[in-house]
Order: sequence, then structure tokens, then C-alpha cells
Amino acid sequence: MSPSNGGGDNRIDGYARALFEIARAEGTLDEVEDELFRFARSYESSEELRNALTDDAIPAARRQSIVEDLLDGKATPTTVQLVSLVVAGGRSRDLPAIIDRLVQRAASSKDAAVAEVRSAVALTSDQEDRLRAALANATGRNVNLKVVVDPAVLGGIVATVGDVVIDGTVRTHLDQLTSRL
Amino acid sequence: MMSWDAFVAAAGEGEEQIDRTHSWIWPEGYEIWFGGIASVMIFGLLYWKAGPLVKKAMAGRTQRVQDELDAAKQDEDDAVAEAARIRQAKGDIESERTRMLAQADERAAALLTDGRERLDREVDELEAKAVADIASAGSRSSDELRAEIARLAASAAERVVESSLDDATQQRLIEDFIANVGATTPAEQGASS
Repeated sequence: MSPSNGGGDNRIDGYARALFEIARAEGTLDEVEDELFRFARSYESSEELRNALTDDAIPAARRQSIVEDLLDGKATPTTVQLVSLVVAGGRSRDLPAIIDRLVQRAASSKDAAVAEVRSAVALTSDQEDRLRAALANATGRNVNLKVVVDPAVLGGIVATVGDVVIDGTVRTHLDQLTSRL
Repeated sequence: MMSWDAFVAAAGEGEEQIDRTHSWIWPEGYEIWFGGIASVMIFGLLYWKAGPLVKKAMAGRTQRVQDELDAAKQDEDDAVAEAARIRQAKGDIESERTRMLAQADERAAALLTDGRERLDREVDELEAKAVADIASAGSRSSDELRAEIARLAASAAERVVESSLDDATQQRLIEDFIANVGATTPAEQGASS
């Protein structure tokens, strides 16, 4: 998850709180936070998307339409509106931090911890359930599982729950092998 | 030759001329007497009045000549003294030149010695540095070679692993991860995180 800078913390918190309250009021918090989380990861991994949404030369309306075109049919209207709201507010650069804060807030509201899981391939629902249970067993807390498909890990899984990192990826093993060599 | 009397007689034969003497060369006798006496008086007066002045002038002239002679003598003495001083100075200059030349020789010799010592030191330092550089370059090359081997080995390992990561392997890795995490207690996790 993206770290937030100190100067914009209050503003990021404000946006996260507002998005959280809107999603909760709409009754689609789980779905929206999941979609927002995926969008944040896509935003982080796509330089083209970042440039498009943070380019001040592009009018806000045009940036909003980019978001709407991108998420049309792939996310709920609430998610589209929330992302569009942040983009229109000129806070595109803070999108990942705002969304991460929202996800943490959502997890806290359910007395759970956010578990960001990166895997080279997508997990099945069964695997997600079992992994959620395993992480809950390992950390002693309920976890709100957020899976990111990241080919860079090559194989295996790395799970981050708060400050705890459980790394079972091939990438890490290869890195350790390189260091030993 | 005509005698004096004949001469006087011949002279008396003519008309007496008051503005003429009886002799074509001699004045009248009384004029000689008066003139002689007047001359004696004039000469006496001159001797009496002008003599001291002349003596004084002569004494002054003598004094001036003497002064000039003294000055010339003094100049000669000064010139002799100056010549002696110049000779002395020349001798001093010669000794100073000798001393400076000797000092220059000493300094040149010292500089030469220092230069040789410094060159020797620099040569030694350069040799030591070259030896160290060679050793360092060898070590660095060895390290770089090892790093390159490690990089190539890691790259090869990565390619091998990537080629072996089929779906079944991916699923097995995921299942192993879930199983391992599920078998971990919070205390163990806290200790290993």
C-alpha cells in the first residue's frame, strides 16, 4: 500500500472518510472498497493512467470521462462516482493513499486487518477463503483480504498484514539466492 | 754731432715759442725738476697709500692660491682615500661574491640532495601505489567477475524457474503457502515477522 505524505494527511483522511461514508450509506461498502482497491493497484502499476489522471493540462471533465470509460461495466456506479470525485478534486496523485486509507477504515469498522496478498496468478474463491482463514489464524485477527495479481512475484504469495509480511514468493527466493551468490 | 750748447743756441736763434720746448725731446729743466719732484711725491703717495692695498691684494691672492693649493691637496687626499675605499669595497665585493657563490653552491647542492631524496620517495610511493592499484584492480576484477558470475547464475536460475512455473506448480506454491501460513500461530508469526 502506498505511504502517505505528512503534509496531505488530513486531506487524504478527509477524502477517505468521505468516500467511506458514501459507500457505507449506499450499502455497497464491501464491493466498493474492493473495486477501489483494485483500481488503486492498477493506478500504481500503469504509468499511462497515472500520467493521464495527473496531467494538469487535461481538463478535469476529460479526466473524469477517462475514469468513467475505464471503469464502465467493470465497477459499480458508486465506485466510478467516487473515483471521479477524487479526480475532479485534483487529488489524483493521492488516489492510492486515499483508497488505502478507506480500505483500512473499512477493515477497522469490521474489527479486521487489511491483508494485501500478491500472487503471480489469480486465486480461486476457495483459495481466498482458506488463505483468509490461514492469515486470521496466523495473525490472530480477522482479515480483509485484498488480492493483487502481480506477475513480478513469479510464483507463490506474499501477504502483508499491517507490519507483518509473510513472503513465500519465488521472486524473494531468487533474490536471496542472488544475494548468497 | 751737434753739441748741447750748439743745440741750445740753434734753438735760441729762432722766435721763442712758449708752447714749445727748446729740445725736441727734453722738457725744460725746471719742468724736469718739478716733474721729478712731483713724480717722487706721486710715487711716494702711491707707495704710502696704495702699497698696503697692493700688499693686501697680493697677500689675498697668495692666500687664495694657497687655499687652492690646500684644496687641491685635500682633493688629492680625498681622491686617494676614495681610491683606497673603492679598492677596499672592491675587495669586499670580491669576498661577498665569493661568499655568495659558495652559498649558492651549498644551496644548489642541498636542493639537489633534497630533490634526489624526494624523487626517490616519490618513486617509492608510486611503486607502492602501483602495487596496491594492481592488487586492488585484481581484487576488483575478481569481485566483479564473481558478481558477474552470480548475476549470470541468478539470471539463469530465474529463467529456469520461470520456465518450470507452469499452472500446476503455481497452484502447488499457493497451496503450500496457505498450508504453511495456516500452520503458523500468532506467536510464531510475531517471532518470524
